[in-house]
Amino acid sequence: MDTTAKTAYLTKDDAVPAQPKLLAHPTAKAGLMSWLTTVDHKRIGFLYGVFALFFFLVGGFEALLIRAQLMYPNGTVLSAQMYNTMFTMHGTTMIFLAVMPLSAAFFNYIMPLQIGARDVAFPRLNAFSLWTFVAGAIVLNIGWIGPIFGVDGHNAPDAGWYGYSPLTSKQFNPGHSVDYWVMGLQLLGVASIAASLNFIVTIINMRAPGMTMMRLPVFTWMTLITAFLIILSFPAITIALVELMMDRNFGTVFFEVSGGGMPILWQHLFWVFGHPEVYILILPAMGIISEILPTFSRKPLFGYPIVVFSGACIGFLGFAVWSHHMFTTGMGTVATAAFALATMAIAVPTGVKIFNWIGTMWGGRLMMRTPMMFALGFVWMFMIGGFSGVMHSAAPADTQQSDSYFVIAHFHYVLIGGSIFALLAGIHYWFPLMFGRKVSEFWGKLSFWIIFVGFNVTFFPMHFLGLNGMPRRTFTYDPNLGWNTANYIASIGAFVLGLGIAVYFAVMIYTYYKGEKVGRDPWDGRTLEWSIPNPPPEYNFRVIPTVHDRDAFWYEKNHREQIAAERAVAEKAEGAHGGVHMPFNSIWPLVAGFGLLIVGIGSTAFDAKWDVPGIHWKLGLALLGGLVTLVGIYLWSLEGNEGYHLHLDRDGKPVKGHGDDHSHGKQ
Amino acid sequence: MRSALPFLARVGWVLGALAGLLFLSGCDLKFWRMDGHQSTMIVEGPVARSQLSLFYVTCWVTLVIFILVGGVLAYTMWRFRARTEADERAEPPPQSHGNPLVEISLIGASVLALVIIAVPTLTAIWYTYDVPEAEKKNAYEVTATGHQWWFKFEYPSEQAAVDSAGAKAPLVTGNELVIPAGRPIRINVRTIDVIHSFWVPKLGGKIDMIPNRANFFWLQADKPGYFWGQCAEYCGDSHAVMRFRVIALDEKDFAAWKEKQLALARSVAVPVAPVAAATPVTALRTFKTNEVGVSEAFDRNPLEAWRAKQAVEKVENLALVAQGRELFAAKTCNACHAVRGHGAMGVQGPDLTHFGARSTLAAGLIENNPEQLRRWLRDPESVKPGNKMAKAYRDNKITLSDAEQVALTAYLLSLK
Repeated sequence: MDTTAKTAYLTKDDAVPAQPKLLAHPTAKAGLMSWLTTVDHKRIGFLYGVFALFFFLVGGFEALLIRAQLMYPNGTVLSAQMYNTMFTMHGTTMIFLAVMPLSAAFFNYIMPLQIGARDVAFPRLNAFSLWTFVAGAIVLNIGWIGPIFGVDGHNAPDAGWYGYSPLTSKQFNPGHSVDYWVMGLQLLGVASIAASLNFIVTIINMRAPGMTMMRLPVFTWMTLITAFLIILSFPAITIALVELMMDRNFGTVFFEVSGGGMPILWQHLFWVFGHPEVYILILPAMGIISEILPTFSRKPLFGYPIVVFSGACIGFLGFAVWSHHMFTTGMGTVATAAFALATMAIAVPTGVKIFNWIGTMWGGRLMMRTPMMFALGFVWMFMIGGFSGVMHSAAPADTQQSDSYFVIAHFHYVLIGGSIFALLAGIHYWFPLMFGRKVSEFWGKLSFWIIFVGFNVTFFPMHFLGLNGMPRRTFTYDPNLGWNTANYIASIGAFVLGLGIAVYFAVMIYTYYKGEKVGRDPWDGRTLEWSIPNPPPEYNFRVIPTVHDRDAFWYEKNHREQIAAERAVAEKAEGAHGGVHMPFNSIWPLVAGFGLLIVGIGSTAFDAKWDVPGIHWKLGLALLGGLVTLVGIYLWSLEGNEGYHLHLDRDGKPVKGHGDDHSHGKQ
Repeated sequence: MRSALPFLARVGWVLGALAGLLFLSGCDLKFWRMDGHQSTMIVEGPVARSQLSLFYVTCWVTLVIFILVGGVLAYTMWRFRARTEADERAEPPPQSHGNPLVEISLIGASVLALVIIAVPTLTAIWYTYDVPEAEKKNAYEVTATGHQWWFKFEYPSEQAAVDSAGAKAPLVTGNELVIPAGRPIRINVRTIDVIHSFWVPKLGGKIDMIPNRANFFWLQADKPGYFWGQCAEYCGDSHAVMRFRVIALDEKDFAAWKEKQLALARSVAVPVAPVAAATPVTALRTFKTNEVGVSEAFDRNPLEAWRAKQAVEKVENLALVAQGRELFAAKTCNACHAVRGHGAMGVQGPDLTHFGARSTLAAGLIENNPEQLRRWLRDPESVKPGNKMAKAYRDNKITLSDAEQVALTAYLLSLK
């Protein structure tokens, strides 16, 4: 490294290198500005988690309103239009604003730690993904001003989470709600794709020495596969949304029936995205479970290669089964048969995972701690959801089940019993690592049991409701159809589930402030994230570890002398090289994301008519927002890829004002 | 705290089991029997039956696998759990990494289980797709068209009288599809606006009505019966109340029904002198939002209730009927609704030529009786939010006084 390069590290004693004032690097280490300008993958992951959990509660509240409406036949809690808004926003919120970002929170926080990296490959792009996600979430929800403040024509989206054309056309949905939905999802897509590219580059390039692909922790593998699913599937919905936007605003006829458009095209485009999306929601969950079960069984994962391979297989087959969402659209015999068989085929790699999880526990020593409880709950519930999924693959039987409560039961078993249970397990599992505190076993298990019971009481009866002919998305039903008892039980269950979630959150918040403090590696972990102190220092690893085996940290714990010797050599080399290299904070990703927020609101909230002032606002704000984004990106690129170096004392604390730093200048 | 947990858990399980037993013994058993009007488990036609037997195949196969895998999982959880503090502190178990032989045989077993499902699935796909070749000649064809939020049924093979001059057009009815029992019915499904889905659970699975797409399917009722149907694809505000009925009749009854339907609307003799000083009309009671509109008597034997509707109303005030007929034009009902022979030719709303002979109204939502019909005429928006009739009331500032409601009701119910 060129030691004569311009010094550019930030400590109290060193002058910031000469820069135009605008480009001065933000230096806040605490407070609001430090969060707005952060590029630290752990802080970004934490923020993803906070936003996701907030929207999880919002979506849950919407669900409780739905269940309140359906508790009795001919319910009057919500109007028809409001009910339709609730189920649309419940679905959209839970998928795009709760489960996906919560998975992204773990990708961000845990994945770099698992591969022995100090950050993701593009820290500022990571911040940009976060703020763009927030912008998308705001645009998606901005329509609530209609019902809440009584503004005409501005409602929250109410066309269903899969927005089937032509119900989304200007003719049948003249207000702005669909525009918010389109632009909100579009921004979320930008955020997801940027984040996924980041994760892929990180996993491929930034693994610690010796961390071969077949030594990657399974959670990291699932991150990689999920990231690929996102970058391959989101373009389909991006195209569909652009076409819908053009139909609504510029008079094109992609889906416009009167112009010869094909509404069925929307369904294909949507589900080519939508089915891989299902695996985008479940694969991270499977990754978390594949970490927790070995840890608490104190055994390595059973059949690691086949678990990884089956994950990839699911990802691959996930692109070949989209039309099983369309068995009632009259696809004809051959297409229906092909998609039915492909759907059955995908059950095999899914089943393999279950077998391997059981194999992992077999002969182990199962420590029934809270994360393990949630993980076992996951395995049971996911099995039930998987089996009803296999039932759906029998296309003719599915024509009775599709769009009925049987389907509702099925996908809540895989999404709550699956994804959410795994994510809640992950929070418990990694909480000690993130915050250095541990949830009390009693309260953790109590919340698990309330959630588990509430969940089953809510969704198990829905199987019967669906087979008894209750269609989904109905704001009311008559008492003479035999659905009263099951609906009543489901609603009671929903309130129990809500109580369980409330307990879970209360316990988490209490633990964050007052919980029992724990030392490093409280679970006797197996992967590298447990090898660092908690909460993790900003630089993650004092010395980049060298990996010798699949469960890298387990190996370290059993080969302490060898590892210590290696560390000493590596530390010396790194010290000679200039210390721990850290990236500068930056405000520009936030600015770029904020510009997208202006574009999102400007282009959707105003009518595109030449004879009203709306068009000036619409064009003006869209152009202004685009400009802000461009300026943000431009200044971000002017910042260059500089960073600074940390020198650590024996306790791992950065040494202030160390004299002879060799920083990376512009390279 | 930790020692309290197992005890609490055990108490919880016992209480839960007790509550479950009490609940099972006390609750409405319909929930488990799944024998409602829209049951997919108790079916009355060959298409639905083939779908149901396929469902049972999938159900049994997955249930057996669930019991096997779940059994092993439960055993594993019980057998290998750490029981004591000492267990938790003990040396970790042997660090084994897997067993290819076990894994490959499990994969093989899963594939085999799926083949058991795949074969009947393929058979059923071809069977349910279209009327079997041998039966094609016997098949009866109708066209169902979805509207926001009602169903139009068209009989392309039946020519109905359109006016007294003898013009004819295919028979059109609304919301109640009358079919011959024991014959395969081939249904073309169309839509006029957004996507709807045609679903009569007891007769067969659903098929979507998609714009620019000529879908069809078939079903058959084993014997005469009265079946509940519902739109099964979200189609806007009132999707939940977009329902319909299918009435299957034996060959003779069907022919009789058809003959009546093909004729023009019934015209009653207008009394020479208007009835003087009609009794004052009382206002209709108020209805709760979403209030149920089907009586228990109707529900007990809907087919009989339907048959009863075919006959002329027992009490009929001819003067009111005549007044209602005038109102039908004066209030511009005829702009959207057709009444063949009465000069009403509208096509946006359901054809009302033989409205009085239907057992339900507002797309199968409420019973077709004077009270419910008045409820609908007075304020359609409250019955079916967002519907076009309510919009027409608002746009054209149409209101109906109590007397007008009564007269229109009398007229509409006279259309047998």
